Amino acid sequence: MSRKTLWILVSLLLVVAMLGAACQQKKAAGPITFGMLLVGPYNDHGWSQAHYDAGKYVETKLAGSKMIYVDKVNPADRPGTTPAQLAEELVAKGATLVVFNSDDMKDSATEFSKAHPDIKVIMASGDQVWKEGKAYVELPNMINIMGRMEYGKMVAGCAAALTSQTGKIGYLGPLINDETRRLTASAYLGAKYCWTKYLGKDAAALSFKVTWIGFWFNIPGVTSDPTQVADDFFNSGYDVVISGIDTTEAVAEAKKLSAAGQKVWAIPYDYVGSCEEGKEICLGVPYFNWGPAYVKTITSAADGSWKSNWQWNAPDWKDINNLDTSAVGFKKGNALSADAASKVDEFIKELAGGLNLWKGPINLQDGSAYLKDGEVGTDQQVWYLPQLLQGMEGQSVPSK
Amino acid sequence: MKNLRWNNFLFQLVAFLLALAFTSLIMVFAGAPPISAYVEILGGAFGSVNSLANVVVVWMPLLLVTSGLLITFTAGLWNIGIEGQITLGAIFTTAALRLLQESSLPPWLIILLAMLAGVAGGALWAVMAGLLKTFGGVNEIFGGLGLNFVATALTLWLIFGPWKRPGTGSMSGTEPFPDTLWLPQLPGLRLSPWSVIFGAAAIYLVYRLLSGTYFGLRLKAIGKNVRAAFLLGVPAWQHSLLAFALCGFFAGLAGALQVTAVYHRLIPSISSGYGFLGLLVAMLVNYQALWAAPVALFFAALNIGSIQLPIMLNLDSSLSGVLQGMLVLFVLLTEGARKRWLQKNG
Amino acid sequence: MNVELRDIHKIFAAVHANNGINLKIPAGVIQGILGENGAGKSTLMKILSGFYQPSQGQILLDDKPVIIRSPADATRQGVGMLHQDPLDFPSMRVIDNFLIGHPGELIPDRGQAAAQLEAIQQKLGFSLRPEAHVDTLTVGERQQLEILRLLWLGVRVLILDEPTTGISALQKEKLFAALRLLAQEGKTIIFVSHKLEDVEVLCHKVAVLRQGRLIGEMLPPFNITRLVEMMFEKVITLGNRRSCCRGEISFRLNALELEDARLHIPGVSLEVQGGEVIGLAGMEGSGQALFLRACAGLVRAVGGHISINEHDLTGKPYHTYLEHGIAYLPAARLEEGLAPGMTLTEHFLLAGEARGFNIDWEQGRKVAQERIADFNIRGTPASPIEALSGGNQQRALLALLKHPLNLILLEHPTRGLDIESSIYIWDKLKERCAEGAVILFISSDLEELLQYSDRLLVFFSGEVSSPLDAERTTVEHLGQFIGGKGWAA
Repeated sequence: MSRKTLWILVSLLLVVAMLGAACQQKKAAGPITFGMLLVGPYNDHGWSQAHYDAGKYVETKLAGSKMIYVDKVNPADRPGTTPAQLAEELVAKGATLVVFNSDDMKDSATEFSKAHPDIKVIMASGDQVWKEGKAYVELPNMINIMGRMEYGKMVAGCAAALTSQTGKIGYLGPLINDETRRLTASAYLGAKYCWTKYLGKDAAALSFKVTWIGFWFNIPGVTSDPTQVADDFFNSGYDVVISGIDTTEAVAEAKKLSAAGQKVWAIPYDYVGSCEEGKEICLGVPYFNWGPAYVKTITSAADGSWKSNWQWNAPDWKDINNLDTSAVGFKKGNALSADAASKVDEFIKELAGGLNLWKGPINLQDGSAYLKDGEVGTDQQVWYLPQLLQGMEGQSVPSK
Repeated sequence: MKNLRWNNFLFQLVAFLLALAFTSLIMVFAGAPPISAYVEILGGAFGSVNSLANVVVVWMPLLLVTSGLLITFTAGLWNIGIEGQITLGAIFTTAALRLLQESSLPPWLIILLAMLAGVAGGALWAVMAGLLKTFGGVNEIFGGLGLNFVATALTLWLIFGPWKRPGTGSMSGTEPFPDTLWLPQLPGLRLSPWSVIFGAAAIYLVYRLLSGTYFGLRLKAIGKNVRAAFLLGVPAWQHSLLAFALCGFFAGLAGALQVTAVYHRLIPSISSGYGFLGLLVAMLVNYQALWAAPVALFFAALNIGSIQLPIMLNLDSSLSGVLQGMLVLFVLLTEGARKRWLQKNG
Repeated sequence: MNVELRDIHKIFAAVHANNGINLKIPAGVIQGILGENGAGKSTLMKILSGFYQPSQGQILLDDKPVIIRSPADATRQGVGMLHQDPLDFPSMRVIDNFLIGHPGELIPDRGQAAAQLEAIQQKLGFSLRPEAHVDTLTVGERQQLEILRLLWLGVRVLILDEPTTGISALQKEKLFAALRLLAQEGKTIIFVSHKLEDVEVLCHKVAVLRQGRLIGEMLPPFNITRLVEMMFEKVITLGNRRSCCRGEISFRLNALELEDARLHIPGVSLEVQGGEVIGLAGMEGSGQALFLRACAGLVRAVGGHISINEHDLTGKPYHTYLEHGIAYLPAARLEEGLAPGMTLTEHFLLAGEARGFNIDWEQGRKVAQERIADFNIRGTPASPIEALSGGNQQRALLALLKHPLNLILLEHPTRGLDIESSIYIWDKLKERCAEGAVILFISSDLEELLQYSDRLLVFFSGEVSSPLDAERTTVEHLGQFIGGKGWAA
């Protein structure tokens, strides 16, 4: 091969590469404005803030992308409006993709997607476009994203069981549906596993009770008051409360009682920074990290590779707290003892190694068998858990 | 007389400007640009056909509620129970829809029956307040507050109890109705022309009723001096009850619209606070039907337009609530000032 | 203190209530202000006492021009006004009312105040108990309290608006004596009234107002006929007694027994002929008001029967009474009879028969215009009822009565009205009698009772006299009877 040919080849390669790069850059650089509907306040130290921060993360990762949002999207805070209507406001302001961040907006998101086929929709926590799911609707412009928080909750349950001195764990539940049933059950499975495996205690000696407040956060006069519920737990012997709601009342209440001399702990939910409210009693927080999935999905909307799908993203088992890769994480809190912390780490390692707690025998709350001995729960079985599990106290509202 | 009216208008204008000035001041303190905030609110309310339609979606139930309240105010009654009456309207409508949705009746008939049920529910709740007042000696303000409480509790119980969605226990609301049971909407908009028809008819009817009928005149007499009205032969408590019932009728219709035209299900805050907003509107227009429509429009526009504040300026949209509150406060203040002024210089 | 009013004008929206009034009142003089209702007396006095600002003109106190901004300002400058309705706080004690409005320390020295109250009382011959509750006082005593309070505050000009309405003869004597004493001390007294006899015995000087203007002044001896002319532009005499009794019984009470918290009225039996007028006499609160309300169907009898034209109405609701042509006109016109905030037209429409569902406003205004002309009401169809003067309100109440009526029940039909209005009102009532209506009325004016009644019932703490023939009863006899003398044991 002559030098000349070599040069030609190199130039061609360069041109192709540059063209490719140029093309790619052009696609990716298409400035995209995405809208976000947050069910709670953007700074709630919980579910909504996790989404808001993920939006900010997208802005830093995707040059030219811009987030606009409306928070407190719920009928109590914004009377007379519906999420679909607010999504239209975002579209009017230039959004070509809208994130509906709450299960509460599910119906509205479907309605909006149907009415606006040209707008891309991310419905967080939904299952509308899961082909194998029970609620499948064909919506080419919608993608469902959810993290496999079951693992986070198992770790939370484990930390609670390792810490509890009374063997009584309270779960501050939001409303009752498939999602909350499976998350609560996962926390129970984690707690039971660590209670028996690491502490060698009898499963029957562990009590695990759920109290539902009725919504994702406190709506005065409508829901039960989460502060009151947490207080009732702590004052009736439950020394660890795991929060399943979007806000941090459990932490605040534990901090207050702890300051008054009670030995109590709490585990918040959703948002990586929510231990800050009460470091001295916080055992850690299972949190969502929506950023990576949003970057991927919003990029696909910008470059045309968008395809309707349902995502249930697992943690990055190499490092569940890697904010650039893991959809779900668990951040240990200051109140977790060194011994418990090492056991929690061991539990996480076991999970990473393939430990599956959703494996039979598992009975439902009413005693009926759900997973036979050795049977591994499918995604459908876990997602659509019809009841709480045997051994858990609390309302189930069975779904058929 | 003409002078007096001008004078009145001038005082209202001053009230409005003062409210604006004070809200602006608060915004400046909060580090927000007042002018662009107002521009955003205006644009958000009237900037497009879509947003205008959304304003009307709020306007119409508000107008219905205000119409009803004008009747009770004329009869000298403080119908604070209006929130509960809207809620009962919504509950009855939902109940009828749930009951009939599996039946073989044509959808339009189901919707019609459901709305009639809603109207009946609102009227029933209002008459309860009236009966408590007439025969129980309970002031309608306290009776109304109590009934509001009961209505809210009833809604929550229904949503979390008997009417919960299958497999779900949530305060977010009941199962949405299929769109065959929605009031027909204008293509591409969230607005049902029926709401507009009901709202317009309500305010017109109430205007006619209060200004052009013997019934309205009797209500006014009861409102001005119940003793004199009675002595002159007006059956006073019967008319009071009727005023309650009519107000409840309109409130119930508003609640029915919230279910059939806006939310398509029952939610905890189904009344959207229109009852209390309606009380404000009625007070601001000095209980005159003529001005109710524009003032209700103003409040509806504020409600919808203020959604822009968090989107565009990262401001809390409760600022519009501040403006509303200021407005009411200043109108009441200037009304007091006007009366003093009239007394001195009339 | 010398008071001078210079060219005072006061214009309310459409009414020139005071039109260029000039009046000088030297210290130590009791100045009478006469005028019929609506002549502008009250307005003028309210200007002097700071309730209103004059539209034009000047007030001079001791020859210095002053501006009086408010009633409190007036008291500071030495001008105090005693209102027709006492402006006190009924649930409080005498001493506390006395202290109210006194400038000075945050915590008043009640002991010292009580001593001062006592001192002034003694001088004026009043005898109020400082610890008594005001609502236990009579109108006359409340008036005394107000005078004491104003004097204690240091007023040197005392304005009294119709002070002799509703007080007893004895209290009137006391009041007049006190006023004469104060005048001797150099206080200026302004005495507003339409009662000629009061002015005649008390005043040093009288000014007459008519339609907002000062018509003239007069010094004693007063020529009453001339004063009446000045007030009304014409000479008025009370009409002749006339009776319209028809002979047949229209209204019948059979052993009607009544009861309220304070009183028990044992069986009253009465048969009244169509067209007859029955006067109900008695001290206030002797049972006549209860009786009248029972006849109207507003109070349920505990025993006995009421019937009109042979229809038994016993125990029937008020509405049935209305349907049988019974009308009741309460004494508290604006509180019970009329609806403030509504116009004359609205009142006529309300009281008239509803023609269909919708109101024909054009027709309504026409009817109102006719009635206004018919009853000589000073006002327009669009006038709010509260803007009318007392006499005109009373005329309006009469104009609201339906046609025909079988029984008209009135409380104090001419209270607070001038002679002309009173005569007018009785003319209208007599027309009703001529049509066959029975009239029962309460009055505390003995002349009125004797002049217009055919028969009289006297009430004395729940006791009811047998009917007296008015023509054969004298004022003295009636007065004694009312006072409890001459009752058979």
